[in-house]
Amino acid sequence: MREDPESGKGIREKRRSKPSLGLTMHLLEVENLTKRFGGLTAVKNVSFNIDEGEMVGIIGPNGAGKTTLFNLISGFLEPDSGTVNFEGENITGLAPHKIVNKGIARTFQVVRPFRHLPVIANVMVALKSPRGARKIEWLKTMERKAADLLEDVGISELALEPAENVGHGTLKRLEMAKALATEPDLLMLDEPFGGLNPLETDFLTKSIMRMHLDEPSRGILIVEHKLYALMQIVQRVIVLHQGEKIAEGKPEEIAKNKMVIEVYMGKGM
Amino acid sequence: MIEEIIIFSTISGGVYALLALGFTLIYGVSGVVNLAHGSFYMLGAYMFYVFGTFLLKLPPVLALILAVVFVGIVSSILYRVTIHPVLGDEVGVMVVTVCLALIFQQLMLLVFGPPNVPVASLVKGSVIILDVTVTYARILALAVSILLFVSLWVFISKSKVGKAMRAVSQDREVAMLMGINTERLYMLAMAVSSMLAAIAGIFIAGSTTGVAGAWIWMHPLALSFSIVILGGLGSIKGSLIGGFIIGYAEQTVAIAAPEGGAIISVVPFTVMVLVLLLRPKGLFGKRIEMED
Amino acid sequence: MVKSYLRRAYSSFAAHVFDIPPRLMAFLFFLILLIIPLAGLDPYYLSIMIYANVLAIFAASWDLLVGRTGQISLGHAIFFGIGGYSTALLFKFFGLPTWVTIPIALLVGCSAAVLIGFPCLRVKGPYLALVTMAFPIILHSIVKWSPLNHIFGGEFGIRGLPAFFAFLPIRQQRIAEYYLTMIFLFVVSVIIYKVANSKTGIVFVSILDDEVASKACGINLTKYKLMSFVISGLFGTLAGCLQAHLLKVSNPPMFELTWSFAPIIVTFLGGIGTIYGPLVGAYIYYILDKYFLTIQLPKLCEYFGAALPREFEYAKLLIFTLIVLILVIKWPRGIARFTTDKLEDLEEARDLDERGPRIWKRYKRKEKK
Repeated sequence: MREDPESGKGIREKRRSKPSLGLTMHLLEVENLTKRFGGLTAVKNVSFNIDEGEMVGIIGPNGAGKTTLFNLISGFLEPDSGTVNFEGENITGLAPHKIVNKGIARTFQVVRPFRHLPVIANVMVALKSPRGARKIEWLKTMERKAADLLEDVGISELALEPAENVGHGTLKRLEMAKALATEPDLLMLDEPFGGLNPLETDFLTKSIMRMHLDEPSRGILIVEHKLYALMQIVQRVIVLHQGEKIAEGKPEEIAKNKMVIEVYMGKGM
Repeated sequence: MIEEIIIFSTISGGVYALLALGFTLIYGVSGVVNLAHGSFYMLGAYMFYVFGTFLLKLPPVLALILAVVFVGIVSSILYRVTIHPVLGDEVGVMVVTVCLALIFQQLMLLVFGPPNVPVASLVKGSVIILDVTVTYARILALAVSILLFVSLWVFISKSKVGKAMRAVSQDREVAMLMGINTERLYMLAMAVSSMLAAIAGIFIAGSTTGVAGAWIWMHPLALSFSIVILGGLGSIKGSLIGGFIIGYAEQTVAIAAPEGGAIISVVPFTVMVLVLLLRPKGLFGKRIEMED
Repeated sequence: MVKSYLRRAYSSFAAHVFDIPPRLMAFLFFLILLIIPLAGLDPYYLSIMIYANVLAIFAASWDLLVGRTGQISLGHAIFFGIGGYSTALLFKFFGLPTWVTIPIALLVGCSAAVLIGFPCLRVKGPYLALVTMAFPIILHSIVKWSPLNHIFGGEFGIRGLPAFFAFLPIRQQRIAEYYLTMIFLFVVSVIIYKVANSKTGIVFVSILDDEVASKACGINLTKYKLMSFVISGLFGTLAGCLQAHLLKVSNPPMFELTWSFAPIIVTFLGGIGTIYGPLVGAYIYYILDKYFLTIQLPKLCEYFGAALPREFEYAKLLIFTLIVLILVIKWPRGIARFTTDKLEDLEEARDLDERGPRIWKRYKRKEKK
């Protein structure tokens, strides 16, 4: 949402209209995904689906395989078995950059900024990708598009600061901006609330909700430890434990699920 | 000709395996890609000349031991002074070791001049095997290589220090947490690695060409890393098998191709490039960093 | 690093006190360089500058690949040698004039860059360094291989290559060669500058900084790495061509490790990771080497009645390598300085290339309306 400078009213930006997938096809279909590292099975037979416009959370204690799952879906790791289908297409084992250009963007748990570039240039890298560089209805220059993205996440004042010098909260938001730059149909956030103070957490929660409103057909998959923040956002929660999916359901249900509570003993909400 | 190839390949293969073992040892233990590995090979040969002919006139065996120990000491000191400060930085380590390699080269030129220096073989005489004349020196080289290789294998599997080395090569941080003094271990690995190279240098120079020059460090370096890449970085078994494969490939070219001797450098490098193109992991390698 | 501190101090001084943007400073510097030949120098001194120019082109091409895109190359000599030998072979077997052989040689260099690029792309870190080292050594052995002497001229290489301005007398030849190399250097610097500060250049830096994150932005690393390789190879080959025709010979030493190592020395001396770094470094290196060490030092020794031993030749490379070694050790982040200096370069680029702030101002202005 952007404020019209003259009238002060909100302007809903027109985005590329995407044909809906319809009721038959899931946005993301993960089937029996398995990944072993030597003797350790990090992800074991995990299956789930995400539909257009759904906001799904993945939780689980440390070592449950959440980030590995992300890596498998986004192409940074190849599964030992199982498939990943996106918008009806089998993307299992495709190179990461190809998957990005198909419409899945992800952020990293530990931020990965380009230290030697200014903040705005960080975003411009993503805009240089084939998908990011697509022209939309009105031609924006890349700098303008990058500036807009920075504004969307609220870090435009720091646009020209070297990424090396900015604070953690800014870097987290920069991650988000980079992911949004490619206009993904599925946005995967890996612990987006990590290390944020309550104010930042609140802002991010609102940003994610706003993102959802701006782009209703986009799916959002969030791995998160801060269950309080997560449960407010997502419509469905998947619980992983030692690589396996042990529960799936609405946040309220999961909160009451005995097995989940046991597994999380000590984590608390 | 086939017999020649087989016999000489086997001999050189054994020594090459030893050379590669040194290279993979220092890499496995400390992550250092030592581009000066060939320089220690060269230094060994030169020091053998110094202790045996140039400065002192010691009997060959004594000269050999002295030369090898000398190289070991120099390498540990150099390690501490030059490599240790840049340990975290892969690029830095490589620049440092390539600097060392060039410095050694120029140093040899400075002290001994461009002409080659003679490197005596340890034993004289030869024997005829399968219609091929094989010097005892070469046979000794193979024997010593096998002996050292086996001893090292045992040392690494059984001894406490060896186990520490393996621990460090698998997980540095955990090893440190368990109280292993990595710095000293690295120095030891460097010393052992360089001594292996020095021994290889003395034997190969002594039994094949009979001379050593300021540029002889390049070929062993090429051999070391192509064998290690073929066999797999960090794999002892790989060094052994890789050593023989490259040994065979080289000797085939050296004997079969016209003026093959001059062109043998091409072999290890070509093998290396091919391996990296087709199967980067090598034969027995551990996972290669293609991703972070 | 002291040098970078001085440079920073100087450029901020120049920019704020004189209120002269760094770009103008560079321009003035070039201007000075242009007038030098007219100062009536002995042709030998001009030679120093000429070869320094060639080295600067070579080092600049290396810096783009290594400093900007983060692909460690210890084998840049491959392009140098390919440049030299391609133009030499075309002359030897087809008698083509220089203005034909060099463009073809450049094409050969680019194709080689693509071929070499492929195995290099798939590997990282130590493997990359080793692979890059491999190629020049392979070619070195091949061109020295006696059965191929009728093609490559063996140890002595291919001699009798046409000079650029053979029709001029010696002194004028040197002046013309100086301007020629100066022009090439200028063009190469401008192109590299433009590329480095373009959006493609930004992607290059992203590859340098974090390949995984770059992939996560949808960047096809292969495409950009190859691009960097090709541009780098193009100018490296150019340097080789120039060298071959200036020396009138193309020989095996062009593939030697010393040439692969030269850009490292040069960039360390001149300031790593900046556009003018290779230039300044090349001049410093050549002036130190060919002037101070080759002329002044022996004179100094004569003055004291001592003679410089013949072996001093070998000590020269040793000294420079030692300097680099000490620099790298003393400032372990010195190599990372490749990249930290990039930051200053980008800051400078930001000031120079006001695209960023300009767009920003324009955007802000629009908002205010």
